[in-house]
Amino acid sequence: MGLDHSLKLQIPFENARQAAIAKEVLRPDPILKPQDFQVDYTTDQNVLRVNFQSIDERVLRVGVSSVIDSIKTIIETIDELDTPSISTGSTI
Amino acid sequence: MLLPTATYCGSDTKTVKFEVNPTDVRYQTTDGKTTGASPYVLNAGQVDRDRPSEPRKDVNGKITALGELRARLTGLQDDINEFLTERMELAKGKKPRLAKQEQRIESEIKELLDGGDGDDDADGL
Repeated sequence: MGLDHSLKLQIPFENARQAAIAKEVLRPDPILKPQDFQVDYTTDQNVLRVNFQSIDERVLRVGVSSVIDSIKTIIETIDELDTPSISTGSTI
Repeated sequence: MLLPTATYCGSDTKTVKFEVNPTDVRYQTTDGKTTGASPYVLNAGQVDRDRPSEPRKDVNGKITALGELRARLTGLQDDINEFLTERMELAKGKKPRLAKQEQRIESEIKELLDGGDGDDDADGL
């Protein structure tokens, strides 16, 4: 049985830096059952692209909702803590 | 305006696109319908301490762009969750037929084995 259920998520941020931060924060999260579910994070300028692949709808629902929860936390954290003085820094 | 989108593609090559309507109240709240504590737990008197915070507002009282994005993403998450739950139910509806078939085969096997035991008993084993 292949990973024939997929979902592509596109989230535009205010700028490319924020999208890159989100990608780098999400990337280390381990996938517990890579044979059943896979996630791939990329950025295209200010857009974070998340590609999910799953064995079925149930696993897809759990995985997608969990990643979206994480993205919402990242957005909230950037919104609360990423002050203009920090944003001017050249490193992530 | 920051508008998240999603595209689903299933095994039956069905493609569904999810888009946000920023004027719809569904996409203006961080309190999602399909996330958080279940109504059963809340009705039992539990307090939802993990409830998401409201979208952040700037000094002028206007919701920030990222606050709006978080609310829209919450609505999009609800759309995706509801859609996939529906698909799960459909898949479940297909399963009983297979389950029935498996049950029939299992009962046939059991019957054969039971019969075998009976014969063995009859032989005095």
